[in-house]
Amino acid sequence: MIRLALISKTETAEAYGILSTRLHRAAWVAYASVDCGDSGKALGQVIETDTADALFADKADAFDAVVIDADQSSTERLAKTASSLGKPVLFRACSLGGLGQKKTLMMPSHPWRFMPSIQSVKHSLEAGKLGQAGLMRIHRWLPSYKCGISNTERILPDADLACWMFGGAPETVWSLQSAANPGYIQFHLGFANEGMAMIDIAGSLPSGSDYFSMTMIGGTGAAYADDHHNMNLLYNGGHPNALRTSQGKVYLIRELQEFVDAIIEKRKPSVTPADTAMAVEVVKRIVDSAESRQVIGRKEAN
Amino acid sequence: MAVKKTFRAGVFSVVKHCYLPRAVAAHPRFELVVVTDDANQPDWVHKRNQLFADEFGIPYVTDVANTIAEYNLDIAAVSPEVERHCDLAVRAADAGLHVIADKPLSTRLSDCDRLVETVQHNKVKFMLWNRNYLPAVIQAKEAIASGAIGELHSIHVDFYFSKDAGPPKGSRKEGDPPIDWLERQMEAHADGSDGGVGTEAMGELQIEGIYPLGYMHLLTGQNVQRVFARTATHFHQANVDNNVDDLATVSLELDGGIVGSLCIGRIGAASHPDIGEIKIHAIGSEGGLVITEARPEVSIYYRDQSPLEFKNERIANENDFLLMEDFARSLDTGSEPILNAKNGRDIAATVFAAVESGKSGQPVKVIY
Repeated sequence: MIRLALISKTETAEAYGILSTRLHRAAWVAYASVDCGDSGKALGQVIETDTADALFADKADAFDAVVIDADQSSTERLAKTASSLGKPVLFRACSLGGLGQKKTLMMPSHPWRFMPSIQSVKHSLEAGKLGQAGLMRIHRWLPSYKCGISNTERILPDADLACWMFGGAPETVWSLQSAANPGYIQFHLGFANEGMAMIDIAGSLPSGSDYFSMTMIGGTGAAYADDHHNMNLLYNGGHPNALRTSQGKVYLIRELQEFVDAIIEKRKPSVTPADTAMAVEVVKRIVDSAESRQVIGRKEAN
Repeated sequence: MAVKKTFRAGVFSVVKHCYLPRAVAAHPRFELVVVTDDANQPDWVHKRNQLFADEFGIPYVTDVANTIAEYNLDIAAVSPEVERHCDLAVRAADAGLHVIADKPLSTRLSDCDRLVETVQHNKVKFMLWNRNYLPAVIQAKEAIASGAIGELHSIHVDFYFSKDAGPPKGSRKEGDPPIDWLERQMEAHADGSDGGVGTEAMGELQIEGIYPLGYMHLLTGQNVQRVFARTATHFHQANVDNNVDDLATVSLELDGGIVGSLCIGRIGAASHPDIGEIKIHAIGSEGGLVITEARPEVSIYYRDQSPLEFKNERIANENDFLLMEDFARSLDTGSEPILNAKNGRDIAATVFAAVESGKSGQPVKVIY
């Protein structure tokens, strides 16, 4: 049984708390807030400390591994501390600037990989049903209020998905932005073996739901994971309203289970810091291309 | 009620899947009166022309100039091999005939330019065949025109035809000759997938790119200034052997600051339950629009159903009729058809730029 500690805001504790009965071979035992006033009550009866530093200083013997969901600079500092204590870490990833190589297990959180729809596409590809990956198409549109985040955070999930599906970094990157819509970026990735990804991300929808669509075209088949396909209708006067059937939060527990299983089985997790580093490097090339209006190959990025 | 004129139409070659002259024949304002082609065409061309003429009970004349002189034609319905589209269209327009031509417009931009010049010089009307009157495309047009998503900022078309195109990639055995493009296209006539018929091999961008780019033209009213494309041969041995794409992605920079993208491919019959995944995505200042081009449709499943039969049938598709209605209106009023020679030429220029970009790996400006 792996004893888990969580360092996060209340909302993250609540999300994990609801799912905690689904976790195998692990349980929450400790919580530390990242801001004063946060609470880990949702995790059940766990040790709580006011700060993460206190957790590491006073309660380190009480847990085996730690999950960190904090801002970037705090994450890096806390992950280093955890690692120095020999604690495996699952941490929110958007940059790995200060982490370096660690001997302990470090799993960056890429929750998008664990979405049921994405897992289904990936499994079809890995099972050989689709043949060789040829074209990955993503449309991701977000309401503007969700976009108070950096370019890296906004682009990284889809850059990572593309690298993951094609099994490596792209050879070429071409990006376009919209002068009229600063929240928009389109990027065009060229992979080995003639693979290609075309992704548009818009952060300008009115407040309300987001939209996501992924198509993977392979040599012998194709997979379509599209919110458009998963809409039901509500009639309450006028035009019907479209209601998307939710995929739920199961992706969180799948990711956490992978972290736990990797610890117990003493293996590398399915997501590693190298994956994040690759995606971050691709994001840099995407931004470079948008700014320079040039095709950015691998060498230029070095 | 005043009876409007019925236009006499000549079929100027009909070697492909013959939806175009059939659409002309099906509209009450048009009457097919003759099929014509040049005498020096190969036997298979004459056979297909004769077959169509026999079906409609009209003569087949192997002399284009004489046909124009003797049959008192108003319009020419042009549907030969792609590389002859512009030649036959120019000869018809030079004789004062209005022209409807099948897509793609040509394999050469210089031919397209000559056509535009001839149409303008002779003050005739020209319409390039397109799908802009499909119900869902009209819906997209109405939604955008009504301001439902505000000012249009970006537009994306995914256009995957789930058709096969002969043997799959990698199937050619050592010592086998490469697949001859024209022979392959002639075989494809049986299942109607011979849109690229001709001696010059064409990739999917060239054969079908007109349709999604036609949507973009309709929905934005803007020309494309620059493209960046990646092209691949991913599915079909005929495309491999003839060095033409069957899968492509294109980034587009349009006038008015609009950005766009196009994904296109002939992805194989196994890859979709229907004719293919064809969608329009548009983002404006006030929202977004997601349109499935095939709707409305009806799903039909039954025991012993052929795996090749589409399970979803398009319904209420009046594209062919509405195109002909549009052309009749153009002839009656002097208005321009929904996709005229200049529009077709500009779309062809965008396609050629994308093909060049796919080869060079660099962005390419569209030639105007």
